[in-house]
Amino acid sequence: MEKPYILHMFTPEKNLSPFDVNMALDAGWTSAIPYVGVQADEIQALVQDTIFSRSPSGLKRTGIFIGGRDAKSSIEMLRSACKSMVPPFEVSAFADPSGAFTTAAAMVAAVERELETKFHTNLEGKVVLALGGTGPVGQIAATLAAQAGAKVTIIGRQIEKAKAIAGLCNTEFGDGQISIEGDADANKGLLMEEADVVFATAAAGIQVLSSELVASAPLLKVAADVNAVPPSGIAGLDAHHRGNPIAGSLHGAVGVGALAIGNIKYKTQSALLKKMKESNQPVYLSFEDAFEIARGFAQNN
Amino acid sequence: MDKTDKRSVLHMLDPMPHVSPFDINMAVDGGFDLVFPFNNVQLDQVTPLVQDAIFSRGPSGVKRTGIFIGGRDIGMALNMLETAQKAMVPPFEVSVLADPSGAFTTAAALVACVERQLKSKHALSLSGLNTVVFGGTGPVGIATGVIASLAGADVTIVDPFNIDNALAKANEYNQRCESNLIGTYASSDADKARLISHADIVFCTAKAGVQVLSSDVLKDATKLKVAGDVNAVPPLGIEGIKRTHDGEPMVHAINSHGAVGIGSLAIGDIKYKLQNALLVSMLNTENPVFLEFRAAFKLARDLV
Repeated sequence: MEKPYILHMFTPEKNLSPFDVNMALDAGWTSAIPYVGVQADEIQALVQDTIFSRSPSGLKRTGIFIGGRDAKSSIEMLRSACKSMVPPFEVSAFADPSGAFTTAAAMVAAVERELETKFHTNLEGKVVLALGGTGPVGQIAATLAAQAGAKVTIIGRQIEKAKAIAGLCNTEFGDGQISIEGDADANKGLLMEEADVVFATAAAGIQVLSSELVASAPLLKVAADVNAVPPSGIAGLDAHHRGNPIAGSLHGAVGVGALAIGNIKYKTQSALLKKMKESNQPVYLSFEDAFEIARGFAQNN
Repeated sequence: MDKTDKRSVLHMLDPMPHVSPFDINMAVDGGFDLVFPFNNVQLDQVTPLVQDAIFSRGPSGVKRTGIFIGGRDIGMALNMLETAQKAMVPPFEVSVLADPSGAFTTAAALVACVERQLKSKHALSLSGLNTVVFGGTGPVGIATGVIASLAGADVTIVDPFNIDNALAKANEYNQRCESNLIGTYASSDADKARLISHADIVFCTAKAGVQVLSSDVLKDATKLKVAGDVNAVPPLGIEGIKRTHDGEPMVHAINSHGAVGIGSLAIGDIKYKLQNALLVSMLNTENPVFLEFRAAFKLARDLV
């Protein structure tokens, strides 16, 4: 009999996300086992305990999921897990803290599609503002856009924090190959005059872009908002928007709402969970892998 | 759904912050449909957890339910097992397996492998043989010492530094398990040489990646018959015993005629089969079973 699929789910938090547990089970993992309060220095022991009780064929049916809330620590845990493998005793691992990697990937992929279909262009050289961008989704969306060639600024309420987060993205997530900047919410008006694209990734229920700012953005092409809870993060943008014109934009900008992003995010996370099960070689999946998959779903969505 | 079709459930109790993924894989592969980790479990929580586990499935459902006790401390695990057994309310009772750090199954596999070589190469049993356990105060070492002692060997457990710890552990487990362990320490090659000079059997259960017996020390062994080493991480515990060895001659024990060695992969293979068989037996038994190192050793003898 073929061995059951076991997914060991690590999180530094007190609880796993039930969202991720549902996703894992629906992707075909037979058992989803929670490990909560996991510290970075426990990863090696946990991984090595995982890999040594199944044969290499059983290990293809074994995986590790890394959750949590913080992008940097999840990526570090993923790297540490990867280093702890002892080939041929090795299993696949996938990091998606707070769903941030798949959400950010879905948002950037959907924006890219709208740029292409409505404006016949791409992210290369575009001015992107990540509003409320200091959280994990904003960090990763900014990183992905920057890696695609955009000039990205992370906007936060405090300029010091926004600059620090931009620096974190550049060094930790972009390997020093990108140069995201940080700026303050108070300077939004000025910055919007140059913006081609806006990501809204603030906490649910906070409007980060008013109708006045939408109206006064002459270059704005696509705005995306991950917030599904009213009021919308961007005035005039609806959660159902999927390239619909934003009411109040004087220059033809289109919107991508939370439900359209969520649809791609859901498919992307499910595909990555399945990829761990189906891959013949172990895979270590992070936001770049999420983006590659999300691009495919965005095109066909 | 018929009552007998209830899914099998293993409640995994652990005093540590995490249940071992090793044991979780083993439990799933042993046929438990659902495994639930319970972390940071204190001894005084065992009775209420067990009683909560036995009262919601009916007498047929409890046959599809089991409890696993992990952790790192074998004394704690034995206390938890005993507490769990006392908490049962027949006919509401479930099987329980204790295997902290895999120590009981590893030790049982180690002793059973050594016993088999002793019989086949030297036509001897463990009874009355001078036996030394290096790394003897750790979980695997203590369990190895107790199992060998109960099988009739004269066992000395060796701490690498601390005589007080060795004496205390020997005393504690002699009282608890009715064994006859002697505790000592060996911090130098001279101490080790003295200990193995008259040893018939050597078990190495020391820390992974530490060589305990060098070729030089092994020259002092004059009547060594079988040695087993559970260390899988180089350098291995006993020089000349390779991981795959299972009865190969010990080339460095030049003054012990016919001495053979057993390495970690041979032992690990039996340990794996043993842990699997114990888990499977919890689902196949008509009456609840309470399994620790004694049951593990009995089954390991059948497996080798």
